Amino acid sequence: MIRAFLRDRIPLDRNGAMMAGGVSFAHVFGTVLVFLLGIQVVTGIALAAFYSPSATDAWASVAYIQDQASLGWLVRGLHYHGGSALVIVAGIHLLQTAIAGAYKQPREIVWWLGVVLLVLLIAWSITGYWLRWDQAGYWASQVEIGIAAGTPVVGGAIRAVAIGGNEPGNLTLTRAYAMHVVALPVLVTLLTVFHIWLARRHGTTPMRVARNAVPRWPQQTLRDVIAMAIVFAVLLAVVIVTGGADLAAPADPTQAYDARPLWPVRWLFELRVLAGSAEQLVAMAAPAVVGGFLVALPLLDHGMERRPRKRKLWLGALAGLFAMIGALTVASFTRDANDPELAKRQATSEVLATRARKLAVENGVPVTGALDVFKTARFWTARTLFASRCANCHDADSKERKGPVIAPGHGDRAWLLAFLKAPSADQFWGRTKFAKAEAAMKPVELSATDLADLVEMLYAESGAEDLDIKKRDRGLNLFESACTDCHARDEGSPGAAGPSLAGLGSRSYYLSVISNPKSALHMGPANSEMPRFDRELTVVERDALAEYLVWLRTASTQDLIGLGPL
Amino acid sequence: MADNDPDRRKFLKAATCAVGTGVGLMVAVPVIRLVVDPATRTTVTGPTEPLDLGNVDRFRVGAPPRRVEVIAPMVKDGWTSARDVVLGAAWIRRTEPTKIEALSAVCPHLGCAIGWEGKDFLCPCHDSRFSVTGEKQSGPSERGLDPLPVEVRNGRLQLTWVRYKPGSATREQV
Ligand code: FES
Repeated sequence: MIRAFLRDRIPLDRNGAMMAGGVSFAHVFGTVLVFLLGIQVVTGIALAAFYSPSATDAWASVAYIQDQASLGWLVRGLHYHGGSALVIVAGIHLLQTAIAGAYKQPREIVWWLGVVLLVLLIAWSITGYWLRWDQAGYWASQVEIGIAAGTPVVGGAIRAVAIGGNEPGNLTLTRAYAMHVVALPVLVTLLTVFHIWLARRHGTTPMRVARNAVPRWPQQTLRDVIAMAIVFAVLLAVVIVTGGADLAAPADPTQAYDARPLWPVRWLFELRVLAGSAEQLVAMAAPAVVGGFLVALPLLDHGMERRPRKRKLWLGALAGLFAMIGALTVASFTRDANDPELAKRQATSEVLATRARKLAVENGVPVTGALDVFKTARFWTARTLFASRCANCHDADSKERKGPVIAPGHGDRAWLLAFLKAPSADQFWGRTKFAKAEAAMKPVELSATDLADLVEMLYAESGAEDLDIKKRDRGLNLFESACTDCHARDEGSPGAAGPSLAGLGSRSYYLSVISNPKSALHMGPANSEMPRFDRELTVVERDALAEYLVWLRTASTQDLIGLGPL
Repeated sequence: MADNDPDRRKFLKAATCAVGTGVGLMVAVPVIRLVVDPATRTTVTGPTEPLDLGNVDRFRVGAPPRRVEVIAPMVKDGWTSARDVVLGAAWIRRTEPTKIEALSAVCPHLGCAIGWEGKDFLCPCHDSRFSVTGEKQSGPSERGLDPLPVEVRNGRLQLTWVRYKPGSATREQV
């Protein structure tokens, strides 16, 4: 009933389209292309529901799709590799049409539309690649826009329009986005509809003459869907094996990166490398030659002859062109694969990418921009400050070290014990002027057990919880009898001739020392070479350093490495 | 020809539809799963702990209500994280040294910002009036101002930020 209702109201051609030369798997490519386009539209809509085209957010939103949204990696992978599949199948479709002589009169316009569509598909994938705004996409955009900018006379204008102003930024992305999700889809759809309508009007070019026309449905349609299923299976396999599309670290204009354009224009990139000083000329001329030849083909190879062996000249020229493009592409990828230096740089980029994506999942990407995701790493502020303000005097590797070494284990029991035994050893006060002074602390000469007790008492000042209370109490007695001539451990009171040890190794102690080591509470104005930092660093920064120093006490070198590079 | 045998044609049609539907589903399922994903999670995080409004001594006993901004130290929104995000405002009144009351500055009618008019609260959008304790006095609002939980910890005023659905007589958290 519903069928009859619909049939009356949507009067489709009851006989359906006929296939002049019979059905064949050779005729599936056009349908497969429409299918692939459909996948791009559907996956593209889903991705657009997440993507944010701004220089600060773009990478973050792509990373969110890739690493957080359920099946985001799969949909993004289908979209990315599906774009490649479109270009590949379109290329095959074009070659096959040429071999069949299907561009010949009266189907020239169908052919020309196809050539334009292929170019648009490549432009489509290129603009899509920019949108991720990672190192790869950003630098690819630089290369590609750079090629276009080399156009004589109008090059500068092309660049300005493409990137939307003088420097790549928000406007570059909104433009690429408008092209990628509005302009190109609309244009491609319109031209595709026209292309198919014309092709259907002319009918398929019969491959064998002596065959009856056969209705397209269902025999050809079945072949079409089988081909779709095969193409989709391959696509899905590629997506799963590769884990979807990759994503490098956020775009960083200040960081050198080995820029490579997207693969469909990789041959041009290689051609430029080979052309040396003539690169700009070649980059302009090569696409013009290829495009011009494809457009001219129906005019050059005129006449009604369609048998391939009678059209060796033009088919040979076409084959030569495709072979050259293929060879250049392979050469470019091979060159990269055999470059050990490049492999090293890529490994470094890989590490950065992994770190950025991990941090993005854990902490979110700061609204200040994707690159700031690195700053969300644990102790980033403290470690950056340490590297710029403290390392020169306190890092074990520093040639200009002037103070005690600050490294993992700083302030733990072993450290305290070693310090008590030799306060003026090289890794402690050894490099300070104070070490040679009369007032410098002398080694503590006590029995091993007494020393251990004293260490426990000093260690307890840090607020650490893993204490041996009995040892600490014995240590307190020792402190009262052996140390109070110089030191004190009452909150806020300086020692008679040395620093207060109240809260030694705690966060507030470090904050106080960093703020003003010359205070009477600590080393005093005469004995400290360390500058005060309460005027240079904010209290938040000093507190971050203090927190980091507390962490260092229980950290191992491995933990420090685990924080990652800065 | 065998291709024109009606049974065979029927089979071909069924096979075509089956394969076509199968491929279509394989594309549709992940896409739909992705699109509905945000509906299944907390995409914008609110503060999980009470927010610090500063030293209690800022608020004098018996003084008129004082407006303070409620700032979350960190808000994650989808893929971004932002620091010190202003969530809204609250009116704080200290009636006794140990008694502090907080009212949300979000109008319970349709969500405009409430102002203090010297002796009562007024919403400028549709003229809802509320007493100093938050009771509804006149205007279109269906309920009084929304109280917010406050407590004093280590001498600092801590406020728990809650948003209620506007436009209803009862308080329903959003
Ligand atoms: S929003 Fe406040 S009275 Fe309407």
